[in-house]
Amino acid sequence: MNRLARLAISDEGFIFDPETGNSYTTNSTGVFILNLLKSGADEDEIVKALVEEYGVDEEEARRDLYDFLEQLRVYRLID
Amino acid sequence: MSVKVAVSGINAVDNPGPGVGIAKGIKESGMDVEIYGLAYDSMEPGIYMRWLFKRAFMMPYPSVGEDVFIERLLYIKAHHGLDVLVPALDAELPLVIKAADRLKEAGIHTFLPTYEQFKLRAKDRLPEVAERIGVKVPKTFVVSSYEGLVKATNELGFPVMIKGIFYKAKKAFNAAEATTHFNAIVSEWGYPVIVQEVISGEEMNVVGLGDGEGGHFGLVAIKKLWITSLGKIWTGVTVRNENLLNATERFVRELRWRGGFEFECIVKDDEIYLIEINPRFPAWVYFSAGVGVNLPARLMKAALGMEAERDWDYEAGKLYIRYTDDFVADMEVFQNVVVKGEV
Repeated sequence: MNRLARLAISDEGFIFDPETGNSYTTNSTGVFILNLLKSGADEDEIVKALVEEYGVDEEEARRDLYDFLEQLRVYRLID
Repeated sequence: MSVKVAVSGINAVDNPGPGVGIAKGIKESGMDVEIYGLAYDSMEPGIYMRWLFKRAFMMPYPSVGEDVFIERLLYIKAHHGLDVLVPALDAELPLVIKAADRLKEAGIHTFLPTYEQFKLRAKDRLPEVAERIGVKVPKTFVVSSYEGLVKATNELGFPVMIKGIFYKAKKAFNAAEATTHFNAIVSEWGYPVIVQEVISGEEMNVVGLGDGEGGHFGLVAIKKLWITSLGKIWTGVTVRNENLLNATERFVRELRWRGGFEFECIVKDDEIYLIEINPRFPAWVYFSAGVGVNLPARLMKAALGMEAERDWDYEAGKLYIRYTDDFVADMEVFQNVVVKGEV
């Protein structure tokens, strides 16, 4: 999760990686998840937080989280 | 009294020389300076940028020979004063490096690498430098025949980069393209030709100023965001990539580099692949001044024997934007340049 720690993430969903110069955009849910990942939360904790914050069921939250994590892996932002 | 500084490479065209960026940095040095532009063509835009270059002079091509070139500089010195010379074009460097002592005796100061350092960063010797500083180079073949090209591409597969020894780099995706690029480069630049593995990663460059004793007066690393069809940067962003900056510092330390340089790399995860080292500032050098590390001004100070600043704590995420502009000039300027060779 090293690479996440260095990311500058704005509340509006703009993400800048000062080491590679790459920038990304995401929505508010993405920012919510990224901030949890940066703070060291594990998958179960994030799923729980998503359920509480967005009122979705656990299965949906987990599916969406996995999908988002996969995108982060594609961009090499997490291992 | 003003410090008089002459800068070449004032061809601010679609493949711009570094001169205008260097002049902008020097202008912002906070010192009382007068900047002269040295041009090889009467249409070089810098000649007409009177707000930046107080005077402009036509220069003989370096290929004409050292004496003619130096005579021209001595003429400028005698008639208008000249304290510092900042050569910004590759073709001038060997000549000016060799003549540096002669110029110094005449009171014209430079801040350049040694001839040995200059030769060491040549494209065909990059693997040697890379090994010394602990970075990688793409697999490279230096070829001087068509058979050599075929052998290299058989070994590397496709795509490959086909490069001239000094200028031009083209990507070839198959044998036909490789042959076309090879022939074009040979007809323009001659042999040898460099055939190189393509590394996919982030293209990052560092501009810096070595002090000649293993230290430096600042580094600024960027990633190119947008390039022109000629591969020239159009927009970029500052980055703080510690691996890359550490490698650049090792280069400066190991070669005891003196003067401006551009360290061109591809960064792939934690690996640094060295692509090229330019022995002068790049055309985007003003970016360094814009983020608070005014390398052109520091070079001028170092040339004058002054203690230049060494802080280089720039911010990542600053954008460099190049744009086209236009302005109107008087025929008189053109006339003077053509008739008198100076304005």
